[in-house]
Amino acid sequence: MTSTPTGTPTGTPADPPPSPAPDPVRRRVDDEALARCAEEPIAVPGAVQPHGALLAVTEPGLEVVVASANAAQVLGTDPAGRTLADLLAPAELDRLRAALAADLSEADPLRVAPGGAELDLVLSRSGDLLVTEWEPVAGAEQAGAAWHRRLPTVLQRLSAPTSLEGLTGVLAREVRALTGFDRVMVYRFDAEWNGEVVAEDRRPDLEPFLGLHYPASDIPAQARALYATNWMRLIPDATYTPVPLEPPLVPDTGRPLDLSGAMLRSVSPVHLEYLANMGVTASMSVSLLDRGRLWGLIACHSYSGAHRPSYADRTAAEFLGRTASLLLHTTVEAGDRDAAVGVTRREADLVGAIGRSPRTPAAALVDGEVTVLDLLPAAGAAVRLDGRLHLLGRTPPAERVAEVVPAVLRAGGVTDALGRDVPGAADLAADASGVLAVEVGGARGDFLAWFRPETPREVTWGGDPRTSKVTAGRLSPRRSFARWTETVRGTSRPWHQHEVAAARALATHLGEAVLARAGEDDRLSAALQRTLLLEELPKVPGVALGARYRPSEADVVGGDWYDLVPLPSGRLAIVLGDVAGHGLSAAAVTAQLRHALRASLLRDEGPAAALTELNRLVGALLPGEMATAVVAQLDPATGELALANAGHLPAVHAGGGGARLVTDGRGPALGLLDDADYGQTALRLDAGDRLLLYSDGLVERRGRPLPEGIEAVREAVAAGAGTPQDVVDAVVATLDPPGTDDVTVVGLARV
Amino acid sequence: MQFAVDRASVNGRPGLRVRGELDIATVPRLAEGVAAELAARPRSLVIDLTDTVFMDSAGARELARAAKQSAAAGVALQVVCPRENKPVRLVIDLLELHRLVPVVEVAGLTGGEVGS
Repeated sequence: MTSTPTGTPTGTPADPPPSPAPDPVRRRVDDEALARCAEEPIAVPGAVQPHGALLAVTEPGLEVVVASANAAQVLGTDPAGRTLADLLAPAELDRLRAALAADLSEADPLRVAPGGAELDLVLSRSGDLLVTEWEPVAGAEQAGAAWHRRLPTVLQRLSAPTSLEGLTGVLAREVRALTGFDRVMVYRFDAEWNGEVVAEDRRPDLEPFLGLHYPASDIPAQARALYATNWMRLIPDATYTPVPLEPPLVPDTGRPLDLSGAMLRSVSPVHLEYLANMGVTASMSVSLLDRGRLWGLIACHSYSGAHRPSYADRTAAEFLGRTASLLLHTTVEAGDRDAAVGVTRREADLVGAIGRSPRTPAAALVDGEVTVLDLLPAAGAAVRLDGRLHLLGRTPPAERVAEVVPAVLRAGGVTDALGRDVPGAADLAADASGVLAVEVGGARGDFLAWFRPETPREVTWGGDPRTSKVTAGRLSPRRSFARWTETVRGTSRPWHQHEVAAARALATHLGEAVLARAGEDDRLSAALQRTLLLEELPKVPGVALGARYRPSEADVVGGDWYDLVPLPSGRLAIVLGDVAGHGLSAAAVTAQLRHALRASLLRDEGPAAALTELNRLVGALLPGEMATAVVAQLDPATGELALANAGHLPAVHAGGGGARLVTDGRGPALGLLDDADYGQTALRLDAGDRLLLYSDGLVERRGRPLPEGIEAVREAVAAGAGTPQDVVDAVVATLDPPGTDDVTVVGLARV
Repeated sequence: MQFAVDRASVNGRPGLRVRGELDIATVPRLAEGVAAELAARPRSLVIDLTDTVFMDSAGARELARAAKQSAAAGVALQVVCPRENKPVRLVIDLLELHRLVPVVEVAGLTGGEVGS
């Protein structure tokens, strides 16, 4: 690869790209060219640029050992065979010796006039020699004192932006104001050293380069290594003729002088040809380093002849580059931190929502003010909890989500190119090129997932990187810089580290909440079983009983209860009730009503009296609550049955080859009126007859009027045969109620 | 049908028109609507269930609560539910809600904001 002594983004010809098809011959030529490239002596060109003169001198004698061929002309006096002590005035020499005694990199430039004309004298060291470079003050462009007075303001502006865009924008603008180049770009390297123009300030008539990409090969590794130590490069005239150093080899070492740290270092002729192809007549670049690593460049171009900013202005530009370099890290971090703080805050919101409704975490994540989709920037999200899948926003269809998310989990949980990482999922690219998936609770197959759509990225190169030619074993510089766009497909915006971390933290929290809830559910169901339901149906002589209780599939506890109470008189009371509402408060009301009704029934004054008393109790002790209940009281010996109904669905009496609804003996729902007298109806349960009580969970169904549901029960009971339990089971099977509410059915018959 | 509780008025009487399914999930919206209306201390209030397609026990309980709150506040509450709306009317009839609050047939409410 050829060298690139100046750091313009398009600093050197492009590396030949990999051949589309294997081509062994061509490949070998490329390898040879590359090998020669790497050997090109960019640090030891043996020549300088003509806008100044170079003298390498010994220390401490200051004897001139090597001089550029233009030294006599630039200095106004021939330095051959002399020492700097001969060339400089005593005061100048004193200042030089003071500078040499201190750190050279911190030395101010010395303004000297050995032959009458003012020169800036810049010092560096190379091996055992002191390199002195002499640049005439005359002929340099001056930004003027006005700019330098503004420096505090400029620095303030540099440090103000909280985004990289802001920082690089200020940098490009201020460096151009300072140096007067036609175009100033901030150029950023990616992980593969491809570059992108991320900020630009330019003469208004110039075509913008902002957003253009340049292949890594434009600035080869050898040059990048140089840029990491040497902050500033300048080519004031891209058409210059190099000035040789004399002698070409340092006498003591027999090797050419290393010009790595020299400002006048001559650049590769190939690079000059490259600049000429771009129409660049002068160029300058300043390195941008992030914690020691080359991050990018400030690249400056002129298109209208030679352009040489003064040494003072260049130093100021370098200072801006160094300052920006220090700010890069914190600015990038601040931007990330702002985003991370937002994600963390929303994570806390979601965790709080789960905490407030631990029994319904899915609802907390999906229906709340902040949903799981708000956690981080994504177009869609999926929540699978307790085997139920909820989708939010733009996602693949449910059945594909169920299949692709586990595949992503197996592949590590994070992808920004689904089609590449999960076989057979390429067709989902439009909605889900990016998938971030996290497991919840383990082993249940629950997960959270976020989806990002494909973002076809247009990458515009500053010239087709594939057009470089290898001619006679040497790379020729790129001639075409026409924009060349390629589109990268099937990928999404990548997932940030803090986003993945927030998703995982949320899933962990959710897993704990779900486990805690599962434990609570078990305890609760057990308690409910003991409180509201019968451990086993009592054995009552002469009576056959059947019962079925199916709790709601929704994660709430319903208010159904049933009870069978053998009475002192030998009769049996059968109760089926339903407290309005769901959840633990309804369950608590249910427990109280069940026990209160038991106590009333044990007085053996009949169903109507028991409900009248229960209603008073609700009015007095449970204001605002409402319940329905049906109570039947059977004398097994005679089949006499008294039935009272407080707002409940009508019982079904099957007998004599048919079934009828028991619509008499009704009163208002419990809790509706503070005081109500309930009536009861008397009927007879003959041998072979059945009575069926049921809750609304059996018949209530969206889209089907309640009367039709009740009629379906009546028909099912009429068709039922066998024991009361057989009939109960058959009715539940026939009605096939949705699992959204408790289902309670009790049947009895005489035997 | 999307659930909604709309403010409406009939002959200047404030009312709430309940549309869609009134159940445990949507009932808080009716409760809010009733509370807001009662806070204005009207002389009367109408709850129109003509367009309510489903009502569960939680919905019925909220009607009962609304009736008791209205009575306590001295507001004459009326529930409108025509016989043709069988799914809702049957729930009202089974619970005997009419013993707590007048349930009438006529859906005479007109749209528009109260006081507009």
